[in-house]
Amino acid sequence: MKTISKYILLIAFSSLYEEKCPFTRDYNAIKVELQKLDDFDKTCIETALHGVNQLVLSEWGNNTACQIILVTDGNTGVGPMTLGESFATLNHRTSSNPFPLPFAFPAKLHVVCIAPPDDSSLIKSKSLYQRLVDISGYDGSVLIPDNLSENSVVSMFQKLAEDMYTSFRGVLKCGNLESRIVLSPAPVPYTKVTDFDCQTNVLSELIEVCGFIPISDVGSPMAVSRHLILPATSNNKENIPLNAEIDLTTDDDSADEGKIPSFCVLLHGALKVENMAALVTLGESWYGFIYSWADSKKKSNLMLTALTPGADAIPWLGDLNRLDTPDNLSQEQVGSFPVRPSEKRSYSQNGVVWIRQAGLQSDIQKILRHARKLPEKTQQFYKELNRLRKAAMSLGFFDLLTGLAYIFEQECTQLPGSAHPDCALQLTHAADVLRKTQNKDFKYVIVPLQTNYNST
Amino acid sequence: MAFSYTNSKMFPANHKTIFVLDHTPYFGISCESPIEFEFLKSRTPGFIPLSPISKSLWTCSVESAIEYCRIVWDLFPQGKLIRFFASDAVAHIMNTWSPGQQNLNHVMNGMSLIGVPPSPNLRSQPPQDFTVVHGLRAAIDALGECTDLQLENRKAIALGDGSLKLLNKCRIICITSARDNDSMKRLQEIFNNCLHAHNKVAAGSDRFLPIDHCHLVIIHTFPVNIESQVTPQPPRNLSSLLTTEVHPIKAPLISNKLSSLILEHYDLASTTVTGIPMKEEQNASSSANYDVEIYHSKDAHTAILKGNASDSSAIRTIKEGMEYETVTLKWCTPRGCTSSELQNCTSMYRITPVEVNSRPSLCLINFLLNGRSVMLEMPRKAGGKITSHLLASHGGEIFIHTLCTARSVLEDPPSISEGCGGRVTDYRITDFGLLIQQNRLVPLKSNYNSDVPNSIQKMKARLSRHTKYWPLTISSTLIFNLKNYIDPIPSIITKEKITDDEVVQCKQVIYNLISLEAKHEPLHLPNVGQRTKGQKREEQYKIMWNELETLLKNNCHSDNHKAVYTCLVECHKFSPDDNDKVELDQALRELDQLAKIEPDMQRASVIRATTDSPMSPPPLTSIAPPLSRTVLTNRSGGIYSTPRSLYDIFTSQDKVKHRPDFAGRTEDNSVAKLYPNLKTENDRGPRGEGMEVE
Repeated sequence: MKTISKYILLIAFSSLYEEKCPFTRDYNAIKVELQKLDDFDKTCIETALHGVNQLVLSEWGNNTACQIILVTDGNTGVGPMTLGESFATLNHRTSSNPFPLPFAFPAKLHVVCIAPPDDSSLIKSKSLYQRLVDISGYDGSVLIPDNLSENSVVSMFQKLAEDMYTSFRGVLKCGNLESRIVLSPAPVPYTKVTDFDCQTNVLSELIEVCGFIPISDVGSPMAVSRHLILPATSNNKENIPLNAEIDLTTDDDSADEGKIPSFCVLLHGALKVENMAALVTLGESWYGFIYSWADSKKKSNLMLTALTPGADAIPWLGDLNRLDTPDNLSQEQVGSFPVRPSEKRSYSQNGVVWIRQAGLQSDIQKILRHARKLPEKTQQFYKELNRLRKAAMSLGFFDLLTGLAYIFEQECTQLPGSAHPDCALQLTHAADVLRKTQNKDFKYVIVPLQTNYNST
Repeated sequence: MAFSYTNSKMFPANHKTIFVLDHTPYFGISCESPIEFEFLKSRTPGFIPLSPISKSLWTCSVESAIEYCRIVWDLFPQGKLIRFFASDAVAHIMNTWSPGQQNLNHVMNGMSLIGVPPSPNLRSQPPQDFTVVHGLRAAIDALGECTDLQLENRKAIALGDGSLKLLNKCRIICITSARDNDSMKRLQEIFNNCLHAHNKVAAGSDRFLPIDHCHLVIIHTFPVNIESQVTPQPPRNLSSLLTTEVHPIKAPLISNKLSSLILEHYDLASTTVTGIPMKEEQNASSSANYDVEIYHSKDAHTAILKGNASDSSAIRTIKEGMEYETVTLKWCTPRGCTSSELQNCTSMYRITPVEVNSRPSLCLINFLLNGRSVMLEMPRKAGGKITSHLLASHGGEIFIHTLCTARSVLEDPPSISEGCGGRVTDYRITDFGLLIQQNRLVPLKSNYNSDVPNSIQKMKARLSRHTKYWPLTISSTLIFNLKNYIDPIPSIITKEKITDDEVVQCKQVIYNLISLEAKHEPLHLPNVGQRTKGQKREEQYKIMWNELETLLKNNCHSDNHKAVYTCLVECHKFSPDDNDKVELDQALRELDQLAKIEPDMQRASVIRATTDSPMSPPPLTSIAPPLSRTVLTNRSGGIYSTPRSLYDIFTSQDKVKHRPDFAGRTEDNSVAKLYPNLKTENDRGPRGEGMEVE
């Protein structure tokens, strides 16, 4: 089976940085470049970190987790642009000159110092490196070899590699059906900062299905990360929901793993056919969706989208902790997607905004348009008039009301001979009431004048 | 203001904002910026022109402050609280921190009640003290009150959660007018003193929170025909508690100033959607392109702005007439339905149009609210363009989704068919689809939300119940392929509770099967696969009974469930001890008196002991060589007839060899039928004759 290998980028730095090898899976190319490195002027770590930020963002965006290994001799530089100076100016940064950490993407920073542990400059700079790791926000490390021998440096790197590339192994479970899985790329802890709260969430090894939602209802929510779900190639049997389960493998132990039924494959097939996504728990009050995903090459796969931690991750799905099957609910409790907020947003409220003159002008024009079509538009005329009056009362804009009364009166004098007699009566009435009710309650509603023409 | 990164994110000043509006008589004056009425200009000569209408300073400040709120509450329906205070001879408070009062209607109604600024009563004794200071003092007190979130946090701290802390940071936006720089300076000093005084009181109080930091933004405003005597003042730390800034601005432009400030205060950004095709109002046949500006969280831009510097500089411009940047992205005429697939979104935020009532905004908003979505494109310096965002409405709210534009680490992934289980072709996809449909999630109606406990555990338990016995493939099950015989048992038996009627339904299925077996009817598999061919009727029944037993035994969730199971083990004899021969009769008898069944507990337990063997029903493909036909005539030879000695097995095997001789060799010259089984397989009729060689 194919596995997904890691991409590696190599940067060399001094007072400037240079991309020696772009992100590649060709590890030989990196080896070749490593042989060719030259020495330049001086150590300037901040520059290198800016370079990392830039290169990772332009290649992978701000959502892909990266590991950054800073290899140094334990010296943080001399003169201007040292790491110490970078820290000293940390609180005086502007948006044009930001400190590169924390990175704009999830990143674990490992500082590897190729120096003897008792090196005097290393002893001084160790705390600076640790501070760098701390600011980066994820649990990176500062590594120092036991002694400066090739063996101990090699073993230090080997240990680092093992730590960095432990793949995520877990279990995907749906009731009694389950499958061992590997997630690719491996998930990293996610820290969510909200007002008055800061929580770091680690993805649980048990990913449990709690129900299903049509893809069209899910919408396209924000993903903290996305992972390919690969059924694990373990020696253990794949599906052991019950001891009663039929074991097909005993007669042929050498059976190709592809021929052993896997719940993952079944789930994938059914989700694809039904066009549904499975809602899964990833931890305490942390949810994700599993669905069939195909890249451009028509290779279909099972994908996990990790949502923002919290039951409120998707406003239009409501409280995820309280989703249920209609069977468990009474008829009147059953709602439907999308869940609507209790209050409408301003753009669907037909509110009044007169900050730009055009807003006020069009509101007045609308009233006048209705005025000319009285009495057919009596309802609309008074509805718009009351809306305008209420807004003017809130804004303390009484001049507008007197002005409008004046406009109505002028309008009366300009009416063509063909105009309906009710037109003049209503306009005069409206002007009159506008003037008289300025000091009245804002809830006061102007009602049409009862005339022979409209008293049906 | 050296707060650490997390502190400033965890305790933002924008959690609590108070607008203090100057309501003193001065604010009743006109801002001297008359509103133009184009529609009045084309009037006939007899028209007496309207005396110019101008907003007052008060109207300008109220509408700008309300607009600020509109934007905040559209983007952050919860947790970003704003209060309104007006100040004349006293402080007027228009709303509290309570979420119920955090909406535009409440505030607008409050504004109506307070009305226009009062006219000074010159004869009043003592003279009325009109000043904005009353409002500022009241605001400081209000900032000391806990919001719901702060109260929750405070309680958690009181309960001894040492990892928590609470910083009370807040902002006051004061719209006022000062005579000159000196009086502006005095105002700030008074405020600073009040702040320190408040903290002294709060230190000894349970009710009030001390204020850890306050950001005082003073908007100094004046009519357009007046020169400001107050100069701008950038943010300045007056003390460790207070940062102040002063913005002198003409009254009609307050809103523009607040637009720039709101972007800073809430970390927002502006996007201009360009090239929106719209029908002309006057001429419906032609269409022109319009731009609509929207606000949303700044983070929606992170991916595109931090990526490629030259690409990002090309789309960033200073908004005309404003002090802030907007990012221009192109409308991309939607093709097909984008909601049918899950887009790879790295972030999503609510948006609000900047000019909520303009025609282009309304047009875009209605387009989105009607359920359509819009992709936004960003041009690339290197040529081509990239789809960077998606605008879509969900439940009446509009969101901007940031699409992943970067390279994916999941390039060229293996297909699921290449992995474990990928070569298996007979998964029970349709049946799992049914399970998916049965376990579709729905939301609760909002009015029931508060008093219902977490239901996710219940859902997991339900799924567990639904999968107690669930073979993954078609070839590893028989009963699930015999839906026409077995239904509705699988759907009933997995329920949490079953009614007496449903018990009857299940029992009927069992009785029906027994009667079919007694009548020697073979079980017809729809869409018979290659694997099941050649199966003998008796074997089929054997496997069916055993698998059915497994299904029912695993689903004894209640007494009624057990009743179904008991019915099975009583009717179908898995045990050698019961040698009732005429089961059909018994079945028919029980059909007549269904409800009256009194399970004989003792007998049931005997049967249980014999059926609880670790043996599982064998799959169709791995059936042992045909068991003796004598099984049919001698039920005591069933596989569950424990204990069986080696001798038993030997003798039963032995019997197999005593087949009837080949017909041609028998002496009575009867006609032998060839390939009797072939006939059976193809015959869909009710009777399975020809199984026996005649």
